[in-house]
Amino acid sequence: MSDRKVTSRRISRNVAIAVAVVVGAFFVVLAVSKPRTDTDISTPLLGQPAPEVVSDLVGGGEFDLSRRKGSWVVLNFFNSTCVPCINEHPELVVFDKEQSTLPDGAELVTIVNDDTDDAVAAFFEKNGGGWPKVRDPDGTIAVSFGVARVPETWVIDPAGFVRVRYAGEVTSNELTARINGMKATP
Amino acid sequence: MSTKQSSLKSWPVWAAMGIIVVVMLVFGALRDSGPSTQAERVDAIAQRLACPTCDGESIYVSRAPAAEAIRNEIARQVAAGQSADNEIVAYIEQRFPGSLLLPRAEGVDSLVWILPVVVLVLGFGGLALAFRKWRDEAEAQATEADVALVAESLGTTESSEKNDRDDD
Repeated sequence: MSDRKVTSRRISRNVAIAVAVVVGAFFVVLAVSKPRTDTDISTPLLGQPAPEVVSDLVGGGEFDLSRRKGSWVVLNFFNSTCVPCINEHPELVVFDKEQSTLPDGAELVTIVNDDTDDAVAAFFEKNGGGWPKVRDPDGTIAVSFGVARVPETWVIDPAGFVRVRYAGEVTSNELTARINGMKATP
Repeated sequence: MSTKQSSLKSWPVWAAMGIIVVVMLVFGALRDSGPSTQAERVDAIAQRLACPTCDGESIYVSRAPAAEAIRNEIARQVAAGQSADNEIVAYIEQRFPGSLLLPRAEGVDSLVWILPVVVLVLGFGGLALAFRKWRDEAEAQATEADVALVAESLGTTESSEKNDRDDD
């Protein structure tokens, strides 16, 4: 066999080995990586001043987040047809009830996402929840927070800074424990 | 006319074509397309961003609520006239990480743009070298042994042809 053929075979073999290693590494990474299951997710807004939230309330009135400084505020992005939102709702009712009994309890606020006033009003009338429901008809508030899917729950501290972002369903206990923890270690 | 002389005569044409292509590319890349309307700006920005709730759709194409909300935000910022296109894209990308359809031409991301060009140049370079090598091989001079072999072969053929004619 000529030298040229030997060299050519050697190059082909090395290239094949390199490709096999890359493909193998790719499969290993896919096999080892764990799917994301946590609801407490990151955002560039963590530790930053919360975006402006100024809008009308369902049923009348206005809401301005900057006027809530001094209180812990929990913003819940919601849609009355979203199943996780419906599942989560009883937990929010419990959370709101518990917080309203505390002198420094958090204020729960719903941000209505792509929904009508009538549907939202009917949902809350049926399932309870007397907290403010803020209209977001053009999605400005959702975009400013980077919310694409509901439900999402954001915790804003009394200074107006974003402290926690939850994607998906939350429980009353989880929210309460988290806020109490942050109150204890500001 | 030899191949070398032919290629020497044709290279100015190729060089001129190359220069024209380069000039057109540079002109196309740098030319100012002039002021666009606000709607065109919104569309152009929306085409650079991926819908955060859909698979394989841009903000421009998607009818999803999240995409519509982002389009509204882009339109609001364009109307406010306070941000350049890249600033608006950066704002959306910060809120919705991974929404950039095209990677930036900076840092590690720039490899996405540089590597294809490098591979293309190396490919053409390799082909040029290969073609030159094949051409040189094709123009190889016959050795004395080759000449002798051919002469011997021709002699054999001529004598056999002569024998054939004599037989006739």
